Amino acid sequence: MYDAYKALYLHIPFCKQRCIYCDFETQALPHGDAAITAYIDSLIEEIRHAAKDGKLAEIETVYLGGGTPSYVGGKNLSALLYALSVSMHLTSDVECSMEANPESLTEALVKDVWALGVNRLSLGVQSFDDALLKKLGRVHSADDARRAIDTAQKRFDNVSIDLMCGIPEQTFEDFHESLKIALDLGVKHVSVYPLTVEEGTPLAKMQAKGEIEEVDQDFQALMMQMAASILEPAGLLRYEVASYALPGYECKHNLAYWTGKPYIGLGTSAVTMTQNASKRMRTQDGGVIDELDRRQMAAEDLMLAMRTTQGITEDELREVTLLLPDAPLVFRELAQKGFVERIDERYQPTLAGWLCGNEMYGKIIDMAP
Amino acid sequence: MSQDPKRIRNFSIIAHIDHGKSTLSDRILEMTGTISSRDMKEQVLDSMDIERERGITIKSQAVRVDYQAEDGQTYQFNLIDTPGHVDFTYEVSRSLAACEGAVLVVDATQGVEAQTVANAMMAMNAGLEIIPLINKIDLPAAEPERVRTEIEDGLAIPADDAVIASGKTGDGVHDLLESVVYNIPAPEGDATAPLRALIFDSYFDPYRGVVALIRVVDGSIKRGDRVHMIATGIDTLVEEVGVRRPSETPMPDLGVGEVGYLVTGLKEVSKVKVGDTITTVQGRGASPLPGYREVKPMVYTGLFPIDGDQYEPLKEALEKLSLNDPALIWEPEKSHALGFGFRVGFLGLLHMEVIKERLEREFDLELLATAPSVEYHVFKTNGEMVSLHSPQEMPDPGEIVSVEEPYLKAKVLIPPDYVGAVMDLTVARRGTFITMDYLSTTTVELLWEIPLSELIMDYFDKLKSGTKGYASLDYEFDGYKESKLVKLDILLSGKPIDALSFIVHKDKAYDRGKVLTEKLKSIIPRQMFEVPIQAAIGGRVLARETVKAKRKDVLAKCYGGDITRKRKLLEKQKAGKKRMKNIGNVEVPQEAFMAILKVDE
Repeated sequence: MYDAYKALYLHIPFCKQRCIYCDFETQALPHGDAAITAYIDSLIEEIRHAAKDGKLAEIETVYLGGGTPSYVGGKNLSALLYALSVSMHLTSDVECSMEANPESLTEALVKDVWALGVNRLSLGVQSFDDALLKKLGRVHSADDARRAIDTAQKRFDNVSIDLMCGIPEQTFEDFHESLKIALDLGVKHVSVYPLTVEEGTPLAKMQAKGEIEEVDQDFQALMMQMAASILEPAGLLRYEVASYALPGYECKHNLAYWTGKPYIGLGTSAVTMTQNASKRMRTQDGGVIDELDRRQMAAEDLMLAMRTTQGITEDELREVTLLLPDAPLVFRELAQKGFVERIDERYQPTLAGWLCGNEMYGKIIDMAP
Repeated sequence: MSQDPKRIRNFSIIAHIDHGKSTLSDRILEMTGTISSRDMKEQVLDSMDIERERGITIKSQAVRVDYQAEDGQTYQFNLIDTPGHVDFTYEVSRSLAACEGAVLVVDATQGVEAQTVANAMMAMNAGLEIIPLINKIDLPAAEPERVRTEIEDGLAIPADDAVIASGKTGDGVHDLLESVVYNIPAPEGDATAPLRALIFDSYFDPYRGVVALIRVVDGSIKRGDRVHMIATGIDTLVEEVGVRRPSETPMPDLGVGEVGYLVTGLKEVSKVKVGDTITTVQGRGASPLPGYREVKPMVYTGLFPIDGDQYEPLKEALEKLSLNDPALIWEPEKSHALGFGFRVGFLGLLHMEVIKERLEREFDLELLATAPSVEYHVFKTNGEMVSLHSPQEMPDPGEIVSVEEPYLKAKVLIPPDYVGAVMDLTVARRGTFITMDYLSTTTVELLWEIPLSELIMDYFDKLKSGTKGYASLDYEFDGYKESKLVKLDILLSGKPIDALSFIVHKDKAYDRGKVLTEKLKSIIPRQMFEVPIQAAIGGRVLARETVKAKRKDVLAKCYGGDITRKRKLLEKQKAGKKRMKNIGNVEVPQEAFMAILKVDE
């Protein structure tokens, strides 16, 4: 027996064009390509099967990610959301997020998806600087982004944007400007990602050939700090390494990932996490990619918790000691090294914990190798 | 009983690396029916994995082959394989001393190369009859006539009747065997004189004790004889004598000119020394064969287990390897930075690398080696003289009157075009030029005096790369000479790290310190805090670099599909850290300890 899934992820693997840094499962296809509709049809099939098996009965959050969900168009999205709404309880208290890119977010689309149950939009803005957008291989302009946010806000209260920092040639002023614009436009949630060079991407090749500057880690660190110092005074509080939100606008779906709730992923490459009290398993495209025992589960949860502002309480730490006897020792050591601090009976990440967390995560996971 | 010496031929096959020596040896074993092609494993004679992988021979080998010659007689051939590296020059000289002739293999597509020259010289010095053999004539690019001229001009060896052969196809191998019969002299010796036999290699067999490879010069030896070893003064009983074909075959006895093995029952290989002369207990007064030398380590390094729990296993592994390797000398050493380990002496850098590799591979140890050092003699103000094998033992500058270091007489053979390059390199390494001789129009011999400590700092690699691989190097110990030497300390975060300190000539201390701090800066990864790296003599800082504190090391994205990937990345990161040594909170990768060796000037 396994615990009921609480979160549902639907993967839409299509884009107008691939960005140079992207290593996600997606492909660039012409708008209206028959393969897109065929894929949506099979995804609908998958949703129906999952519902029939009772896997969607307790879903609390839904996330349509990609790729670019908005790129597949109103007709496909309507079909998909309609199928979803008859397969589960897609009530207003279920958080239903959809990713969109500025160039493909039309007013008609906003109205359609809102009517069909989507209540949160996440826009891949990345920057409000045209030169940088072009460099990244994005197909939209800064004006497109402003227009898209404006359009989204006609129906949606809960609008999030992604911003990227540490792009070669990006200046502090550029990034500062983008953060300011986001605040001026009144978005409720901002994700801030340092540009990461993933193996096999055009970006990695361009760097190897010297066509583009190397990503500077010090520079990225300063920009990540800058994001916190601009967004937090405006009320968007950091609740995870890369996530800022007005209180109440934190992404529940992502929080499900970080708090050990089981999730089901449908569509190509989507990962499903299934668990009960003694075992956790992750599957992808029909294969098992990960299997954890109770101790490893506890360590993973602890690691994920330390990526959030919540961190863990003294009580939780005491409880986890039953499975991981070294935990108090490890946390004391992490405090000594300056990765965590104890505030009000709670261990929380420090600045070093946010910016150089890998060592801390490694130490935590090491408790249950 | 013993074979008539007139029907014995003892010879060695010598060649530049990759010129086909092993394949040719294999073919001889196959064509004389010594080993069937079914049992043929490539390169039968190189028995260690490391030997086969690196294409070098470390231990000597001796295989007996019976050859039915065209004259109707059966000849006993003893094929002696020699180590192929300058570290083992002495061992090579003893193996060659067991032969009357050598087959010099030259690749028909490559021609005469550096090692061809060096090996030919060594064989000529040993007074051997040389049969040139032009190999690989099956290749389309073969130019036997050009190579023949090169052998005559470059080596001054007549090559009119050089054997033209292919180890691969077997063509010409018959001609070679006939040439061995006619050109290599039969051994000479006095069958009625007391026994004198040369030990040219020895190894430890866990079931039978020490086994020696020997060449009988005078008299004979048989099972049950009580024998005496002249240099070590040890008496022992002969438990067995025999020959290798290549599997061991016991024989009733070994007589004048014969080559074979001898089982002694002794437990320590250090009692059966390469180059020593065996005689009978009755023949105690016999004069020793010439050429014996006490083998002394030239290079010392600290070997430390990365995991402290592996100290005992390391000790046991060293004990096991020393059983077979009298040149391997070691004693416990303690480092503040690296904990407990051993100071180990080696014949040279290759010997060191091979031993380290064997310890890691055969005994599953993870080791950290500190920069190699030589033995220094320090004369102190109190009149005492101390020998140091490790920079850590260096007394305070105030207590030192003078320091002496070992010097070598080094012989470099090169084509004339590279004289300038070799001069520049060797002078930079504190070498003093002695003489230059043209051995032929294509080969120049340079003689140098050079400190051993400079030679072990990648001199050989630099020499090779500076001469497109043509240079060959040979050296011998030339005694101790006074030098202005100082101990250079390396400090991390203000603390001296004993395992990184080294002894250097005063005039070079500043440059080495500067280059080394820069090098360490590039090797030591950024930590959570700033790490200053300093080079200092006594309390005086010569150079300083800083590893900046790490500012960002976090993977920002961690959603549903990323969690597994992230955990795997963290595990990989951890595996990387395991290869580092934690020294006073600073994580130092292993390469740091060898960085001193790779310092470009």
